[in-house]
Amino acid sequence: MSHPGPTNEELELWLPTVALGVQRRSLLQLALMGAGLAASPSLLAQSGVPKRGGTLTIGADADPIGLDPVTLTAFSSYDFTAQLYTGLLRWNAEMKIEPDLATGYLAPNDTTYIFRLRQGVKFHNGQPFTAEDVKHTFDRIMDPASASPSAVLFASVKAVTVVEPFTVKFELKAPSATFLSYMATNPNGVIVPRGVVDLRTKPVGTGPFVFESYEPGQQFVLKANPNYYEDKQPYLDTLVFKFFKDQASLVSALRSKAIDMTWFKDPKVSAQIVKGSRELVSAPGKTSRTFPVWFNIKAKPLSDVRVRRALSLATDRKACLQTVLGSGAGKVGAMVPESQIGGYDGVSPLPYYKTDVAAAKKLLTEAGYAGGLDLGDYIVVAANALDVQCAQILQQQWAAAGIKVNLKPMETAPLIGLWLKGDYTIMSIALSWSPDPDAIVSRLLSTHSQGKGIGMADAQLDKMIEDARAILDVPKRAAAYQQIQKHVADQAYLLQIYQYPLRWEAWWSYVKGYVPLAANIRTFVRAAYISK
Amino acid sequence: MIRLALTRVAWMVPILLGVSVVAFLLMRALPGDFVQASAGTTELAPEALDTIRRSLGLDRPVWEQYLDWLARVLAGDFGTSFVTQRPVLDELLPRLLVTAELTFFAGLMALLLGAGSGLAAARLRGRVDWLVRTVNGILLAVPNFVFATLVVLLAGLYFPEVGIFNYTPFFTDPLGNIGSMLLPALSLALAVSVTISENTRAAVLEVSSQDFVMVARAKGLLPRTVLRNYLVRNALTPVITVTGLQLASLLGGSILIETIFTIPGMGQHLFESVTTRNYPVIQAIVLVAATIVLLVNVLVDIAYARVDARVRYD
Repeated sequence: MSHPGPTNEELELWLPTVALGVQRRSLLQLALMGAGLAASPSLLAQSGVPKRGGTLTIGADADPIGLDPVTLTAFSSYDFTAQLYTGLLRWNAEMKIEPDLATGYLAPNDTTYIFRLRQGVKFHNGQPFTAEDVKHTFDRIMDPASASPSAVLFASVKAVTVVEPFTVKFELKAPSATFLSYMATNPNGVIVPRGVVDLRTKPVGTGPFVFESYEPGQQFVLKANPNYYEDKQPYLDTLVFKFFKDQASLVSALRSKAIDMTWFKDPKVSAQIVKGSRELVSAPGKTSRTFPVWFNIKAKPLSDVRVRRALSLATDRKACLQTVLGSGAGKVGAMVPESQIGGYDGVSPLPYYKTDVAAAKKLLTEAGYAGGLDLGDYIVVAANALDVQCAQILQQQWAAAGIKVNLKPMETAPLIGLWLKGDYTIMSIALSWSPDPDAIVSRLLSTHSQGKGIGMADAQLDKMIEDARAILDVPKRAAAYQQIQKHVADQAYLLQIYQYPLRWEAWWSYVKGYVPLAANIRTFVRAAYISK
Repeated sequence: MIRLALTRVAWMVPILLGVSVVAFLLMRALPGDFVQASAGTTELAPEALDTIRRSLGLDRPVWEQYLDWLARVLAGDFGTSFVTQRPVLDELLPRLLVTAELTFFAGLMALLLGAGSGLAAARLRGRVDWLVRTVNGILLAVPNFVFATLVVLLAGLYFPEVGIFNYTPFFTDPLGNIGSMLLPALSLALAVSVTISENTRAAVLEVSSQDFVMVARAKGLLPRTVLRNYLVRNALTPVITVTGLQLASLLGGSILIETIFTIPGMGQHLFESVTTRNYPVIQAIVLVAATIVLLVNVLVDIAYARVDARVRYD
């Protein structure tokens, strides 16, 4: 399943052709990077001889909004770009970075990466893939007119140069530990062909599946790419996404085999349905995001650290976890989910994490709120049943310490507007998956638009976050993020309640070879086959 | 009669204009726009958000956007969908036909169930009346989406071999198409049938106590003749009104029913477009639905004139 990296001989062979610096990192080191979560061996052991042909039907809960990886902003599109496009690097099943359209790379110094590309790869329209396409892709990302969300992620890139037809050089402004993570992430780091317009509706990539047809709200059909570069893959002839916007319909469709595979937002639903039939496989959830309670600390009373600490002490995170997700489906959370570098393991002690209502009351009294405190509206995403449930529990827990909140479930679109501007007192919205912890903690920077909005002004934290971004050594970087999390918990800038998977995947056991990723991007459909 | 029809149709113009303003302003008055709704928590530079808004024309003053949109609608161009980048009308027309079919079946079922049970309750009284009214009470209390969700879940659990999500286009397989419409149409029809049933019952009861019915019976006319010529004909007026007015409920109900049964109709389209703030599609659907409801009201008025002579001479 995993692609063998180039051997040392191979690397040496092309070394003379490029300028070589003193320091270089090989793929061996690359394999050590990335997040340290081991995939369940039982899933990887779903071996056997892959069968060719057939159709896999996936139940999807949202339509894509645009299929141009450079401009798309909607998470719902990722599932489709994951089949259509590939990038120079990719995440493997263990969430480690491995080469994809690249065969290897060299890092002569901390700010230069030279990639050697696969030869003989063709885009779906027959156009050959070369280093020019890589340059074209990053030129588009950096062009302000594209309004690409990837531009923020690749802000560290200074220049992309074509060295040879199959060699491309990335120069960075400063050492960046996030660069490779984003390069490996679909759709941010995927390559688009030159001279093709309107990828939004007519996608052309190098991925294992080719776009066939799309009926909005009904189905999205892809055919196997006969020119796909990976040996024998994909095994399927056809891949169909059918859309079900209602969770009950999705459950029913999976049970009746109208679809072969889907995912659920609620682990209890997933557990229930798998209990119903032995032939259903449910993926063990990999925690990929957290459920936070965001505070606006610009004004009283939340500008007072004692009040925030009191809220943290009044919170029983384990009770939330057990009631909302059920047993074994998640862990207590901090800023960084476990599947990322420096992620929180869910058990290590963190400041103000131990529930202590008496201590909370004492802090409140010190802060001058002996008679209790009313924080007003606590805004939550109405569409996410899990979020609302957790918020209800938190409301009760805080009430026990004398802190009152008024639950206000809200539609997602306006809620995000308030969240980005910092226009709230307390709010809960979970982030979708991001490949690097930097994307999560950066929102607390005093220079970040969101950090400004909520009144962040912690020079020490700013420095910690900016330093962690540039640490290339993985264990050191992990330690840096653990320090950041400790600091955030100590100051209680926000509360992190639990960490959990974005989705819980489930499929019929006749679908073999599939591996779910913590990223919840279905890149492993390329290795899936049907064996009834 | 023709004058009546023409007056009613002429009235539609200012009403539709009003609807278009409301549809346009209401959606924009809602906080959060398409750009924000689709990006979710994905981090975007403020300049990037502005660029996308500008490309969709969302940066211009609302009145300017409205006039521009109205001018193009009058020329038959409803714009392009923000989500799919396809012409709104091309996506809407096939969906309109699907919803029309669903509404037709639902309306037919509601009329048969409602008028039938109402008439039976009024004529037979006693236990039948009690039964009809109890069932009506229950159906009125259960919203159509609850019933639809139950159907979907129970079918998935106990009859997985019945493909309830196999929506088939009419021209691929007419019989399969009608079959796939039955359960959704029934879910949609039940609540509406209650209103029709209660109104039919009340109307028939009221008419049966009228003197002319007693006279007709006293004359020795056959009960069948009394029922057809005296009772039903006179009780029909309120029933027609109610049935016509219920079209709006059917169209409204189709939003959730189509979403639950994954039927590619106009309702499902509206549901998705509201969550993504897909303005051009929402505006087009509101306008089309309003036109349909108004047209049906005109037809109801004309039908009135056919059955009730008093209306004709107004």
